Amino acid sequence: MNCEVCQLKELEVEHFEIREVLRCILHTILFHRALGLVRPKDVDLELFEITYVQCGDMELERKIDEKIDQFIDRVEKHPNKKNQICLSFYEVKNKHATWFTNKVERLFWEHWYINLNVMQHPKTPSGKSHHSKLVVDPGVEARGARRAALEASLRDVLFQIIKFVNEKKDHVPSIPNVEGIPFPYEITISSSSDSAFGMDMFKRMLQTGHPTMLS
Amino acid sequence: MDLYGYPRPENGRLEQILNQFFLKSLHMILDSRVPAIRLSSHYGEVKRSDKWFNLVLGDRPSAMDNLSFWNRSFMPPMVIDIILVQELPTSSSEHNSSIALGSEMVKETAIERWIVQHEHQKAVAHPISEASYKKTYKKSILLLRSVFSMLRLLPAYKAFRKRFSSQNCDFDISYKVCTYAVPFPGEEDKLMKRHNFVPIDTQQGPLSISLMYRKNLSDFNLDAFLSFPSEIITDYVGSPLTEPIRPFPATLSEKDFCATSFPVKGSQPTSSSAFQRRHSWTNGIHGDVSSQKNSHLYQSPYEFSSSPTPTDLYSHRIQNQRLSAYQKAELDDLLSPPFSPSPSPSPPTYLSSGNPVHSRMRSETSPMSIPYPMMGRSPRHLSPNKSDPNRHSLPPPSPRSIKNDPSSQESSSGIRSMRKSDSLRVGEPSPGLRNFGPRVSRDSKEDSGRFSGPSSSSSPRVGFSRSSSRLSFQDEFGDGDFTYPFIVDDIDPPDFQASQNLDGKNKSEDSSQASFTAKRSQDAAVGVLVHMLRAAPPLCSNSSCYISQSSKPEVVREVGVASEFFKPRNTTDALEELKAYKEMKDLILSKSTEKY
Repeated sequence: MNCEVCQLKELEVEHFEIREVLRCILHTILFHRALGLVRPKDVDLELFEITYVQCGDMELERKIDEKIDQFIDRVEKHPNKKNQICLSFYEVKNKHATWFTNKVERLFWEHWYINLNVMQHPKTPSGKSHHSKLVVDPGVEARGARRAALEASLRDVLFQIIKFVNEKKDHVPSIPNVEGIPFPYEITISSSSDSAFGMDMFKRMLQTGHPTMLS
Repeated sequence: MDLYGYPRPENGRLEQILNQFFLKSLHMILDSRVPAIRLSSHYGEVKRSDKWFNLVLGDRPSAMDNLSFWNRSFMPPMVIDIILVQELPTSSSEHNSSIALGSEMVKETAIERWIVQHEHQKAVAHPISEASYKKTYKKSILLLRSVFSMLRLLPAYKAFRKRFSSQNCDFDISYKVCTYAVPFPGEEDKLMKRHNFVPIDTQQGPLSISLMYRKNLSDFNLDAFLSFPSEIITDYVGSPLTEPIRPFPATLSEKDFCATSFPVKGSQPTSSSAFQRRHSWTNGIHGDVSSQKNSHLYQSPYEFSSSPTPTDLYSHRIQNQRLSAYQKAELDDLLSPPFSPSPSPSPPTYLSSGNPVHSRMRSETSPMSIPYPMMGRSPRHLSPNKSDPNRHSLPPPSPRSIKNDPSSQESSSGIRSMRKSDSLRVGEPSPGLRNFGPRVSRDSKEDSGRFSGPSSSSSPRVGFSRSSSRLSFQDEFGDGDFTYPFIVDDIDPPDFQASQNLDGKNKSEDSSQASFTAKRSQDAAVGVLVHMLRAAPPLCSNSSCYISQSSKPEVVREVGVASEFFKPRNTTDALEELKAYKEMKDLILSKSTEKY
């Protein structure tokens, strides 16, 4: 089975926008992968005029919020870095059990990479670095323009997700008869400062055992 | 063999999937584009038919009950047009798509077109395997998820939300379902953007959904239609303008005076025909289907005659004859979703902050809360952290309106059904609205009669939503006048509300209440009565929590009597008043019990 990878368009967000943007993207992806019985729930973003769809699963919502909290903590601890969330779906295959271990192998069949560039506000007037992306208060109009641009970009990301889901269907495993999300998944957070930032991706590619098709 | 042990041909399962795919697509599209459809949806227990494609949408709208075109082996394409209906000033120039209804000009513009089709190919020689069904079903699920998400990202969704949430729109959204696609006029066609979802290859041909939509709806100035800003009604009953004795309280904010603005337009069905549009199931459906295999027939550009014509009407009577009881049962029960032997799922849970509409869908009985009727206000527009500014903005109605209101019976039934939902707002679907179900469906049937066959009604209607949303509720409550006799007086200070105690245990509190109530108006007495009733022991389930019609005159009398109480009084008077209220309560309870 192929492992499909979707690199979503990078978004430049401010700190207070992280939660909404990530919720929107993660839930949209999960709605398209929660192929068990769901009662969809429309959710309106507060910061943007966008409505996305959730599965209506409270447990899932809780997990996603937890991950978003972790992401925000990481951003606060490691500012000035590009951050990435990877949502991966896999199948579990039991390897040959030995006397001491019962190794379980994860066969990833899909990776979604959500790339956020969190803009940092300068703490002191002299706190400037050419590595950081500082936000000087641009004024109301510029802020509005930036917000509108982000909304358009977010909408593009959602269209990108729909397009990907629509174009690539063959790699999706058969759907078991359960409610909500029938496939196991994991959400990992990484940032550009990590030495494993690129290595992590490379490892996943190797695990799949197939050449990846970057979209 | 199918799940029920009936022997079915091998191709039957694929047909089943295709049939349900068409119906699910239609339901999904109408549910997120036509406000009336959303209003009429019910979200009770998940039916078997709703589990198809693992996407629960609620009960199918009644307008879909008569669909049988897409419930057969050969399915013509389903073309769903979403139409924006706007009222134009009579002096404006006529457009091709404008029609005159009464004294108003109406312009109808298609803003979206969805085409669901299965290009039937010759059946393959070898039988279709179960793996093939499962693959087709899986891909159908994925496709429908994409469509569901896409529906919320398109521009028309904004228009739908605006219309759904506001009664003060000068536009309406309707739909038309055909088996052929009428080409758009040249100008409109250029403004349409196209999107094709990746088709699903089945062993009997590809199954596809394609879309044409207007990328930009700014031409229609939809935001401008959210006119009629909230009116500050200062001459409501109980205000100092109507009762000179009573001054304006200094502590009241403007919010308290703001009332939900009632629709300015006449709400009678005949006068508001501009926004009432029949559903136009075209004649192509029950015409010669076999000759329309290639689906496209050229017709004249959009023209909607003012009176229903047989050429674009779908016969309601014929469908009733076709859809026998067996077929109905087949649709709902026998056509179960395949590959789902698991037991029926537990009711899904939702975050109420995320989607309070859905949380109110459950058929639960709220403990004696009297919600404020808010026409068409969708809570989904509100942030969970924001309070609804209109929540406490309705003035208490005049007792005269209770007595003379011809629709008081409906309002009492409305109260009964409304109280079944927790903080329900009028205009939103809920199990409580099932009590409106017969009424709504009657309206819908009338509408379907109008657009589906020679109508019994002489006045053409433009929008189904008009009759089933605004009109039906206005019929219930009498032309926009809310006749709830027990709307809580929202200017009661919190401590007064909290101190109501029917048992009379705390007489000192009663005396404080008495001194306070001495200053209140007649309407405040009604509010007091409401509070007492709310604090009363719950009624039995049969009697529910509503006031029977027979008790209303007595309530009015009692209110009139109560008004006599508002003289300088002492504790004794207060106690007597309390006793009177208790007697009232007992009387009402006994009458309710007698009735059931």
